[in-house]
Amino acid sequence: MVGMNSMAKPVPRSVVEGFYKALASSDFAALDPYLAEQVTWTISGPVDILPFCGKRSGKAVVLKLLDRDIPAFLEKRRLVPSVMLVDGDRAAVFGRLTASRGDIGRKISYRIAQFVRFENERVVEYTSIIDSFDAVEQVLGQQLTLPGGTRAANPELVAI
Amino acid sequence: MSYSVSRALVDAFYKAYATREADKVAPYIHDDVEWTISGPVDFLPFCGTHRGKANVLDLIEHQVKAVLRTFSFVPDEVVVDGDQVAMLSRQSAKRTKDGCTVSYRVANIMRFCDDKVIENLSLIDSFDAVEQVLGQQLTLPCDARPDDGALVTV
Repeated sequence: MVGMNSMAKPVPRSVVEGFYKALASSDFAALDPYLAEQVTWTISGPVDILPFCGKRSGKAVVLKLLDRDIPAFLEKRRLVPSVMLVDGDRAAVFGRLTASRGDIGRKISYRIAQFVRFENERVVEYTSIIDSFDAVEQVLGQQLTLPGGTRAANPELVAI
Repeated sequence: MSYSVSRALVDAFYKAYATREADKVAPYIHDDVEWTISGPVDFLPFCGTHRGKANVLDLIEHQVKAVLRTFSFVPDEVVVDGDQVAMLSRQSAKRTKDGCTVSYRVANIMRFCDDKVIENLSLIDSFDAVEQVLGQQLTLPCDARPDDGALVTV
């Protein structure tokens, strides 16, 4: 069955909560011990528009992404989890990421889902899915359109 | 004692949902279900919040199929905790209008009640999904998308 490895050592909920407390508050000194040396960190989305998207490997690279690269693009980044699930060696969190773009004085907020796998109480694999269309529109500060400027098939409908 | 959904039930639901056939999915859907797909409804008309079993089955059987014919829905992760389930999947489909293949990742968070789904939120890599479904790149400010073939969406 997918998502269940009977041989894997379960991660305690307290460890998942500790990891997320550090991640959500951008406390990277506290986050460091939760990351395995060979961690892979994947954020799904268009890397040519949202440069923090893509796949990174290695603890040092991931910490640089979180501590320097993302803050250079999005300031005051904060993860607000709404649901946290723990199952064996895996965890999943759904929530909302809020941030601001200081250069243009704009606040942004978009939905995010995160799937994390632990080994020996350290994160070895992180994958996130973001509502990337919403994120891109907020980052750019304008509605996306088709070539020619068309957009709404039905102007009474709104994005959620 | 609080309710917990079994992994066997989740697996059975997932296999039924992968077929996108309403009669197979129906036994797993609660009458009072609320089903949300996050994304731009003006580009992807099946996005939005759908309430009630009949509306959700219509969404699965008709509204999504008007845009996409899903032929593969492969789970990468299934996390079960109490009455809630999180799934990360790769969905592949053919565009109904021309048969071109599209593929994108989907994250679902579901809550079960009495062995039926009563709440679902689907998150998709919606920028990627919109461009694939439309079959063309979205218009961006001239400096927002560099002309660099080395960059890819994951």
